[in-house]
Amino acid sequence: MSGEDCDPMDRGENDGQKPDKMFTLKKWNAVAMWSWDVECDTCAICRVQVMDACLRCQGESKKDSYGKQDCVVVWGECNHSFHFCCMSLWVKQNNRCPLCQQEWSIQRMGK
Amino acid sequence: MMSLKPRNVDFTETWAHLKETVAGVVGLRAVERSVWNTRFSDVYALCVAHPEPLADKLYDETRNFLEEHVQGLLQRVRGTVALDNNDHNDGLLTRYVTAWREYSQGVAYLNSLYSYLNLQHVKRQKVSDAEIIYGSSATVTCPEHDARQLEVGELGLEIWERVLVKPLTSALTGRIVNALAAARESPPDPAHASILREAIHSTVQVRAFRVRAPLQLYQQLVLEPYLTAAAAAHAKLAAELLASGDVAHYTKHALAGLDREISLGARFLDSSSAEAVRGCYERAAVAAHLPALHATVHQLMKDAAADLPSASERRVDLRRMYTLLRPLGANALRPLVDAAHAQAAADGQALLALSHNKDEAHTHFVNAMLSLHGKYSKLFGEVFGGAQAFVGALDKACSAVVNSRLPSDGSARAPELLARYCDALLRKRAGGDADVDDKLAAAIVVFKYVDDKDVFQKYYARALARRLIHQLSASMEQEEAMINRLKAACGYEFTNKLHRMFTDVAVSADLNAKFQQHLRDNNLATSTGFFIQVLQAGAWPLGGAMAPLAPPQQLERPARLFEAFYRASFNGRRLAWLHHLCTGDLRTRYTPRLYHISATTPQCALLLSFETVDVWNARELRDSLQLAGDAWHRHLRPLLDAGLLIATGDVGSETEDDTSADATIALNLAFSCKRTKVRLTCANAPNHPGGSSSSNSGTAAEPGETAAHCDDDRKMYLQAAIVRIMKQRKVLRHTELIQEVVSQARGSFAPSVAMIKKCIEALIDKQYLERAPAALDTYSYLA
Ligand SMILES: [Zn+2]
Ligand SMILES: [Zn+2]
Ligand SMILES: [Zn+2]
Repeated sequence: MSGEDCDPMDRGENDGQKPDKMFTLKKWNAVAMWSWDVECDTCAICRVQVMDACLRCQGESKKDSYGKQDCVVVWGECNHSFHFCCMSLWVKQNNRCPLCQQEWSIQRMGK
Repeated sequence: MMSLKPRNVDFTETWAHLKETVAGVVGLRAVERSVWNTRFSDVYALCVAHPEPLADKLYDETRNFLEEHVQGLLQRVRGTVALDNNDHNDGLLTRYVTAWREYSQGVAYLNSLYSYLNLQHVKRQKVSDAEIIYGSSATVTCPEHDARQLEVGELGLEIWERVLVKPLTSALTGRIVNALAAARESPPDPAHASILREAIHSTVQVRAFRVRAPLQLYQQLVLEPYLTAAAAAHAKLAAELLASGDVAHYTKHALAGLDREISLGARFLDSSSAEAVRGCYERAAVAAHLPALHATVHQLMKDAAADLPSASERRVDLRRMYTLLRPLGANALRPLVDAAHAQAAADGQALLALSHNKDEAHTHFVNAMLSLHGKYSKLFGEVFGGAQAFVGALDKACSAVVNSRLPSDGSARAPELLARYCDALLRKRAGGDADVDDKLAAAIVVFKYVDDKDVFQKYYARALARRLIHQLSASMEQEEAMINRLKAACGYEFTNKLHRMFTDVAVSADLNAKFQQHLRDNNLATSTGFFIQVLQAGAWPLGGAMAPLAPPQQLERPARLFEAFYRASFNGRRLAWLHHLCTGDLRTRYTPRLYHISATTPQCALLLSFETVDVWNARELRDSLQLAGDAWHRHLRPLLDAGLLIATGDVGSETEDDTSADATIALNLAFSCKRTKVRLTCANAPNHPGGSSSSNSGTAAEPGETAAHCDDDRKMYLQAAIVRIMKQRKVLRHTELIQEVVSQARGSFAPSVAMIKKCIEALIDKQYLERAPAALDTYSYLA
């Protein structure tokens, strides 16, 4: 790296007088993190973080699911959320939310 | 023309003629064709004689004749020598072999002359071999007891053994044993050699037709006495070798002795004796001296591994030692294997202890391990032919060295050092490195020995996160190839999170393109260039709270636009900005020369605060940006160090969080720097190992924190393994379950039984498992 790599066109633009703008913001390299918009990070059925695949999906360790989040989250009308896999099995036995005992009905699915 | 019709035959007259011919045949004298044919018919005629067949009588007479004949041969063989002097050159063996050649040939001819008798008379009486072996109620006799059941040729051999060999047994044995002993010292001339070989072989041939114990005579007359004598000779040789020189002298000559003995046996003895001959030598010359030999192996191993010119000779000695010990079984070899292990382990520790630059500890560590592994793989391959026991010893030694713990704090450094090594190779560097792929592939050799692979994974994931977020990777192909190598070594679960991180980078590239398209489509141009990476929570090792920050107004707009775009694209997701990882590119406008400044978002916010204000009160500035104590210092310090900002008064430090009320900060309007590109970093926060850092020391996170973090992950891993096993097996006993879990986890770490038990309890609580109601210590899976 040398000091000679500056753009010659940039030079001489300023003459020591204080300009109206001190800086130009050329570019922003942002980093953000997404997570499911849930009240509780953990699935109450399998006790695994909802950002991770559920315990059963991890057990199967599907070879084709390289980081793909195919084990998504589901929200009930009661706003409680679980792994979709976990809830699908749960409702076969008991069609109520395991946390609040309300009748289970899907409000939305994660995508 | 011979008649086939049964008729009266005069036995005495016929036998007189026949006997004359028999004598001629057995004595190997010429017999005319016509005479032979006539006698052949005579045998037939006697066998079918009327009114009474004369086969039995013929058989008896023939036996009498042969017994008498062999008696004569015995006298010829015995000669006039003293039988008990056992001088193998006294001519007895020669006479014996001459008589045997003549007689065995003659009896073979005789057998064909008696074809009819053999075929029709003997065969019919002869019990089947199967009956001899397995016994039968119909037969109480066996050929050994009833000579009548032997064919005439076999009868001749039986008579030879009984009449001639028996009285000469000890004379023959003594001479054969002596002749063999002499042959061991110096090979006999071809004529004598062939006499000796034939004499020995005759003891096999004479009973070759027997179903039972065909080698009995050979064993009693030749092999057993020979081995007894040989054992004494071998023991004497070994004792002399050990007395007269060092272990090298012994191994060399002992091995030559073994070769000599094996070829002696192959040349003179029956081929069935090869094992016995070898075993006799090994017991007498090697096994008897094991303690003395074992006492030398450590030094020998050390010398063979030394970096000296003489080492190649010692390797030859060691190879000889191995060749001698190997056939004696695992216990005889054990001290050699132990010595190999001890030597490699000691050498490994010595290599690690060599002085080195502390900044290059990772390179030193991996290179030391690779050179250890390379050196001993080659050495053991060359000396021990790559035998499994020694491959195992090397693996054990490498594993011990790789996982050796520091005496200071008892921690194993391999996971961290190896991760650092990989990080250094995978980063962009000036000049590049031609053999990075080879070096990364070699790192896997070391990796396979690491016990705490999951700890390595933590360090590796942090370094990978840093490379991906800050675009420091030399090549994405290399990154992916390395993840695949780790996956091949440890399986999918091990690299799952690494793959997820890698995928996020690809997904982000796509997302940026779509976002830019979205902006164009909706005429939402922004003045500032914008690039974003959206990472999934949980996959990235980016600990620590997200620092609250009021972003500069210039960043508000792109951030809001992206948030809206993202919300419309996905469902149920929450987005958080990782300001400490965001960087902005600023250009100065107040300096005579233009500078390009790359800085973290808080640093950008700090600088941009001076757009309208020349001098800030330090506390006010901090509060306006909502930078909490620690973060404030970490972001401010590099700006002060670079000279972009100037502080007056005490603004505090990371360790002493005390910004005095009157401290001020001003923009340095006279900023100047040799370079036009200024890259600012922020000092590493203890809980932000993913934070931007210019130094290589980023991987050196707190070991304690990593260990605690690992514990949780280990529990997760074990629970998933238990579920997987139980799902397949349905019902399993406690001990079996523990065993299966341990064997599955071995690829990543060695789990404690206590931890597995806790995980089983947790799964019972979660109603994945239950204790089987009827059986003790048994679990069943709840679907
Ligand atoms: Zn779940
Ligand atoms: Zn799932
Ligand atoms: Zn609910």
